[in-house]
Amino acid sequence: MSALHRTRPASGVLRHVLLILGALIMLTPFVYMVSTSFKSQAYVLTIPPQLVPDPATFDNYVQVLTTQNFAAYFMNSVVVSLTSTVVSVLISSMMAYAFARFRFPGRELLFRLVLVGLMVPAMMLIIPQFILAKQLGLIDSLQGLIVFYVAASISLNTFLLRGFFASIPGELDDAMQVDGANAWTRYWRLVMPLSTPALATTTIFTFLATWDEFAWALTIINDPSKRTLPLAIQLFQGQNATQWGLVFAASVVAVLPVIVVFLIFQKYFVQGLTSGAVKG
Amino acid sequence: MKRSMTALAVTSVLTATTLALAGCSGSTGTGSGATAGTAAPVTLTMWGTYGNGGNTAQTDVLNKTLIPSFEASHPGITVKYVDIPYDSLKQKLTTGAAGGELPDLVRSDIGWVAQFASLGVLAPLDEKMSDFSTLSAATYPGSLATNAWNGHYYGLPLDTNTRVLVTSQAALDAAGMSKPPATFDDLKAMAAALKGKKIAVFADSGLQGWNILPWIWSGGGEITDAKLTKATGYLDGSKSVAAVQMLVDLYKQGEIPNLLTGNTGATSTSDGLPKGEYATILDGPWMRDIWKGQFPAFAPIYAPVPAGAGGSISVVGGEDVVIPSTTTHLDAATAFVRYTQSDEFQLAMAKVGQMPVVASAGTKAAAADPFYAPFATQLATAKPRLVIPQSSQVDTILSTELTPAFEGTTTVQAALTSAAKQIDALLTSK
Amino acid sequence: MIDSTQPQVVRAAVSPVAARTTRRRRRAGRATPYLFLAPALVLFVGLIVYPMVRAFQMSFYDWKVLAGATSTFIGFDNYTRAMGDPVFWRGLANSGVYMALSVPPQIVLGLLIAMLLKAKSPSQPVYRVLFYLPVVTSWVVVSLLFKYLFADKGVINWALADVLHLGDGSTSWLSGRWTALIAICALGVWKGIGWSMMIFLAALQGVPESLEEAAVMDGANRWQRFRVVTLPAIRPALGFVVVMLVIGGFNVFTSVLLMTGGGPGGQTEVLLTYMYRQAFTNLDFGYGSAIAVILTVIVFLLSLAQMRLFRGGDEEER
Repeated sequence: MSALHRTRPASGVLRHVLLILGALIMLTPFVYMVSTSFKSQAYVLTIPPQLVPDPATFDNYVQVLTTQNFAAYFMNSVVVSLTSTVVSVLISSMMAYAFARFRFPGRELLFRLVLVGLMVPAMMLIIPQFILAKQLGLIDSLQGLIVFYVAASISLNTFLLRGFFASIPGELDDAMQVDGANAWTRYWRLVMPLSTPALATTTIFTFLATWDEFAWALTIINDPSKRTLPLAIQLFQGQNATQWGLVFAASVVAVLPVIVVFLIFQKYFVQGLTSGAVKG
Repeated sequence: MKRSMTALAVTSVLTATTLALAGCSGSTGTGSGATAGTAAPVTLTMWGTYGNGGNTAQTDVLNKTLIPSFEASHPGITVKYVDIPYDSLKQKLTTGAAGGELPDLVRSDIGWVAQFASLGVLAPLDEKMSDFSTLSAATYPGSLATNAWNGHYYGLPLDTNTRVLVTSQAALDAAGMSKPPATFDDLKAMAAALKGKKIAVFADSGLQGWNILPWIWSGGGEITDAKLTKATGYLDGSKSVAAVQMLVDLYKQGEIPNLLTGNTGATSTSDGLPKGEYATILDGPWMRDIWKGQFPAFAPIYAPVPAGAGGSISVVGGEDVVIPSTTTHLDAATAFVRYTQSDEFQLAMAKVGQMPVVASAGTKAAAADPFYAPFATQLATAKPRLVIPQSSQVDTILSTELTPAFEGTTTVQAALTSAAKQIDALLTSK
Repeated sequence: MIDSTQPQVVRAAVSPVAARTTRRRRRAGRATPYLFLAPALVLFVGLIVYPMVRAFQMSFYDWKVLAGATSTFIGFDNYTRAMGDPVFWRGLANSGVYMALSVPPQIVLGLLIAMLLKAKSPSQPVYRVLFYLPVVTSWVVVSLLFKYLFADKGVINWALADVLHLGDGSTSWLSGRWTALIAICALGVWKGIGWSMMIFLAALQGVPESLEEAAVMDGANRWQRFRVVTLPAIRPALGFVVVMLVIGGFNVFTSVLLMTGGGPGGQTEVLLTYMYRQAFTNLDFGYGSAIAVILTVIVFLLSLAQMRLFRGGDEEER
């Protein structure tokens, strides 16, 4: 341990107090959500708030899992999100590689264009996109979701990955090139393996965004068997009354896979950022 | 090395092919509308909001009883009902219209028919159905009126509802009253009696037409003239102002909670009444099932909207059934529309909370289930909101202008005068 | 010198120039970059840029939604209408207020937590996950959740009155413009801290310890070390976070729609909820598009300015 990390006990305590306090604030709403999902409507929003539901009920979960075809929607969401994420990370990384390692006419302009994609409100594109999807025959299909989800995630992914790629020393590329490796090999065998943290980041972001997407799914999906989870959850919000227990039970079910994906990838998130050959 | 260069090309090509394939398989999936013609089997798609927040009673009746019965009597026609979240149906109809991808039948909120008709999205049923006048004559005029636009009818009423006063025995006891407030004066007296008891005399969740018009009409006021040409002189007339002023006074005394002015954090009316926070609310027949599930011990008391100078007049709600003009199965779709007007359909839906729109069925339903009697009585005099394409703008204008009047930054007269002027502009531009 | 150990995700994201130093002219065929670009570019141009152009075009029309209907070209009418529309200006102001109130706390608190978590310890991954949890939860869910927390009889009022004894707990958070914006900002901060924390954490790992140790030797205190060593080293990350958060701040939508619906009386309307209302409630797509275009232009200019700012500093260091 260096001198730097030999902190006085007092400040160590303070550090933990601050962190625990912060973590509690972060966590409380979730606890409340989970607890509400076990309450019947009559016990929702009481003063003082009940953290431990009394009486507790599994009715909300039973209803969520039985009234709609929840398992099928869950699978649809899994298929759509996984496919979109894999395709998007792959083609975005290729695009990012081109931006990071080549100089070619129109490069700056194209990159600016990709950036604009980050800034346009998605809602406004829905009508033109819908007309387009219709012409492409993508209405009412999971493919229609996937293709547009991939397109929508390209901007951010390219932006993130291009930055990371550019920071990998070009000398490594040169060395490989001297050995006779062509561009694809350098991309696939050198840059990609070195970029695990950035790829993990983009994977999490993309999975998250597609898993939660509602507006586009609502627009193009008609067939109930092709619904994704956000659509199903929205159906629990009624015209005349919202059954909070139901909505939150459905939300808990929907949030779990995201947490799992995050837990799987999170260690790559920060660790390894500076490890390996990059550190040079 | 060569191989890996090819890999790049292959990836590019693969992506493109995948997309193309996605395109192909997608289009085969939506081909249900291709086979037109009366002899061939037909699948009708219907969009609606019967699902209503996880309450499956209505969708069950539709999918398990009514549609099978219709299909049995109409061989070759299959009906596929798709439930859409209520808050999203309008957006879905809009994008559907833009892309020419609409279903064959829509259960539309009564407030949207004129708007979509004016855009040319809907088929004029009075032209397309030879027996339209017979069918329409059997329905309640207030509900039928919501289908009219520019000299044509674009739908038929499907179900109706209205708001009546709902109260609880606990609230009446607290106010020392033997029966629900029947007049504006009763309501004011109730407010006085409830003072200091932490029970709001009345609660509602907004200042749109649906919320505010029963008070204006009951107070003897109007929104516009009968021909829908002018709001000035009606919406800001003395009787309209007086009715709203009564609410403003109660609001300022703290007897009406700020749920009324759009506090989305306030206790909702459906929770506040059974929990004893609110003494009265205005609500519709759907609440019976919701309370039955959520507050089994609660026994609501239904009564007419308190009467003012204009009597007890409520607002008509409900849905219409319409046929998008893009349908390729017009005959089959009109057959289903006809079926929705039958006693079989109307009475089955009445059992799960949708009030009939056909007068004869309404009488039968009220006889079979006395619960509906107060709603049926109220419907006899209830009025529809403005049947114009911009009805949603009218709602925005009303709530935007009236909110400051309740918050005390302007007078009711000034607010309604300003609202009337803006509505005038909408009426001339329609 | 700092170069090779920079937190890579973020550093070069904001500085296209960084690529320039490492880039080498490749002799590989001229087509190679385009082959790499092709799949993403085809999708992006086809499914994003083309609809963008169409939306831009719509903003000059009295746009008729129905397929096949003819729309009237009205030039800049939709734009002049926005300039004279008080609700548009209020929406713009509210979006700006949201951005101004929610971005700084996300940066300051995110950085603070990242500093606290910098040292490797067994508890570090646990905290990391806890703070990141809100980020991975959907906007719809957390908006409903916060609407519920800030309800008149919600946990916030209860905590203020009965636990902290501040006031009587009768604040109707969602009924007034400013209190509602505070609640919406609270959600934004709560949901966003984990994200900026993660980026800063990555950036901090790249700050060479030798530099800090040298500063300690020189007798620098914590604050001085932070200001002289840490801050310059994470500057690119800071730039990236600022740009992304400002873009996100101006695009606030779901939380407002679900928590207040723009009410009461349009007081909490932000640009995107107003755009949504014009487009999908009033079916006035021309006007809705014009509002979206104005928003995009504002955000684009702001981002460019910020990138230039942070990039400028970057080049100085070399």
